[in-house]
Amino acid sequence: MVKETRTTTNNYLIKQLPKATAFINPAFELVYVSDRWIADFELEKSNVIGQSIFELFGDGATEHLKSLEACLTGEGGSSSNYSFTDSEGRERWFEWSHIPWYDDHENIIGVIIQADEITRQVQDHEQLEKLEMLLNQKSTIAKIGSWEYDVINQRLRWSSMTRQIHGVPKDFEPDLDTALEFYKEGFSRNTISMAVFKALEEGITWSEKLQLITAQGKEIWVIAAGKPLYKDGILQGLIGTIQDITDHVRSEIKIRESENLLRTVVDNLPLNVYIKDLESRKILVNRWECEFLGVKDASDLLGKTDFDFYDKKMAQVFREEDLSVLNSLTPILGKESLNVKPDGTITTFLSSKIPLMGTDGKAFGLLGISMDISNLKKQEAELRDLINVTSLQNKKLVNFAHIVSHNLRSHTANFSMLLEFLVTEKDAAERKKIIEMLTMASDNLLETMENLNEVVSISTNSGQKKKAVNLTEAIGAVTHNLSAFLNTHKAKVINQVAAATRVNVIPAYLDNILTNIITNAVKFRDPSRPPVITISAEKLEHYTLLKITDNGLGIDLEKHKDKLFGMYKTFHDNPEARGIGLYITKNQIEAMEGKISVDSTVGKGSTFNIYFNEKA
Amino acid sequence: MKKLKEISIIDDDPITIFGIKKMLDSLDICNTITTYHNGKLAIDGIRKGIAAGKGVPEILFLDINMPIMDGWQFLEEFIALPLEQAVRINIVTSSIDPADLQNWEFYKTKTHHHLDFINKPIRLKDIAEITTAA
Repeated sequence: MVKETRTTTNNYLIKQLPKATAFINPAFELVYVSDRWIADFELEKSNVIGQSIFELFGDGATEHLKSLEACLTGEGGSSSNYSFTDSEGRERWFEWSHIPWYDDHENIIGVIIQADEITRQVQDHEQLEKLEMLLNQKSTIAKIGSWEYDVINQRLRWSSMTRQIHGVPKDFEPDLDTALEFYKEGFSRNTISMAVFKALEEGITWSEKLQLITAQGKEIWVIAAGKPLYKDGILQGLIGTIQDITDHVRSEIKIRESENLLRTVVDNLPLNVYIKDLESRKILVNRWECEFLGVKDASDLLGKTDFDFYDKKMAQVFREEDLSVLNSLTPILGKESLNVKPDGTITTFLSSKIPLMGTDGKAFGLLGISMDISNLKKQEAELRDLINVTSLQNKKLVNFAHIVSHNLRSHTANFSMLLEFLVTEKDAAERKKIIEMLTMASDNLLETMENLNEVVSISTNSGQKKKAVNLTEAIGAVTHNLSAFLNTHKAKVINQVAAATRVNVIPAYLDNILTNIITNAVKFRDPSRPPVITISAEKLEHYTLLKITDNGLGIDLEKHKDKLFGMYKTFHDNPEARGIGLYITKNQIEAMEGKISVDSTVGKGSTFNIYFNEKA
Repeated sequence: MKKLKEISIIDDDPITIFGIKKMLDSLDICNTITTYHNGKLAIDGIRKGIAAGKGVPEILFLDINMPIMDGWQFLEEFIALPLEQAVRINIVTSSIDPADLQNWEFYKTKTHHHLDFINKPIRLKDIAEITTAA
């Protein structure tokens, strides 16, 4: 009973202890507990006293058995940890201290257990471990090493990563001088030496991108950073990091190189290259585009649209083209288009517009590539002109070949036929007639040959130099030479050409042309009136026009237009018509790059218009 | 064989006329041979003949290259004449211009007259063949 009373008394004192405390007897049964104990371990108040501590706390407590037994034998206290998961699911850590429980007579009657909650400490510790691990991981992945320099003992300590970066073994012991010597001579070493000096002297921190030569002689890029450490205002040393950024720098260099390469290619392509955004604003242009639009720098074009450089109509055409590409997502490829600048310069482009699509499949702009093909177009046109001229000449040549072959064939056919007659003909009178015919055929052939010769000589002599000739004087000379012929036919020549008129001609051709047309005017005169020939001239843009008008028979141009200047074509039933004069005249005019036309009314007369080319 | 009434030679070359005439004479196949120096004279002559009720020649020898009116222009006017009978027209030329051959093909389709294209020189042995009336 006494015992029990005591127990009750003590019980009150113990209950109020500020720490979680339990008294257990040698049978490890709880005798007294503080309220805190019950609260901390979330026990039921009524169900605690008399219970074995092992039953109450399970396996967690079993680990304490040895320590508890030691206390019972009086070997002094010890402590160890106990953890459990509370009702809110948190893991809670306690440090249990065991001390022997003595009675008044120094007899051990049990063990006192005091529990201090150490959950916070345990968590902090774990956190620290985690941080250390993370730091190690990070430094390995990011290749960041650290170092410390102790100024007082002049000792430099490197982390294992720092050693690794320098390419030195784990047992390498650096000092400040050897550390600095790893930096590449020149800029890098000077910079780091200065930085360390300034940090020590002036307390300035640093972070520099530098080159370092490893123990293996490999050149690497690092970011070296450091700062001074002070304690109570006194410099203790330096701490810092070193990061190997060689891969980064290399890829940076590579990217810059490929960017440069791309830029160089784009700039030097003999093409106009640009990128436009959805509003047709230029967001990239190359040098050719700048030069084409007459600006010195790309910045003068960026953000601007075609409306800033072309008149509204032209710009609208471009904008509609852009929109069609952006909306349909279909590129325009190699389209020939005309570009007219406000100053009137016309350029022919072979242009392509290609939509640029984002990852969402929508267009965010377009890439434009245009090639200036104006020169090609010009050459094409020149070539076409040349082909036209050539085919015209070829046609003339074929025509001439037909004329030649026709004329020669008709004569040889006559020879052949007449000779056949001659072989079989017995009658002397008839033979004489055939021979007369043969002579005629021979004369005709000779004349034809002479005519053809004349025509050929015009073509082959077309290289003759043109000279400025006074037209009035030339007409005077021709009429003088023809004066007997003109007088015979009572023909009158009226020269209205201004005295100073000069034409660029081959003089012999001019003589021939004038002679031929004047002679024709008389030959084909109207028998009812004396021939009057009026000659006048006027200056046109590229030509000097000479008009020779007569009052002769006239020519039915409806019928004869095609044949007028043909070879061996005659229109008048006139024995003097040979059908060669106008053919030669036309050839001579064309050899001087001029042209000839005729106006005529039957019964009234004809006007021959001769255009002397003053440009070519 | 019945003798033909009339053959016309239309050519500006006196030698060709002489030759054809000589060959026709030797064959003795027609009563009259008329000659014209160009297409204009020929078409005028033929029109006059029709007007006088003499009819038209059964056979024509026609040159192409002639002054005033050439063979093709003549043909254009001749086939426009309201003739019921078919006339044999021998186009005689030394031309080798393909355009002339094309013209011949063209006119053949446009008329009921019989059109032949003969290159000079004409031989006596050919003449009999091309002087049967169409």
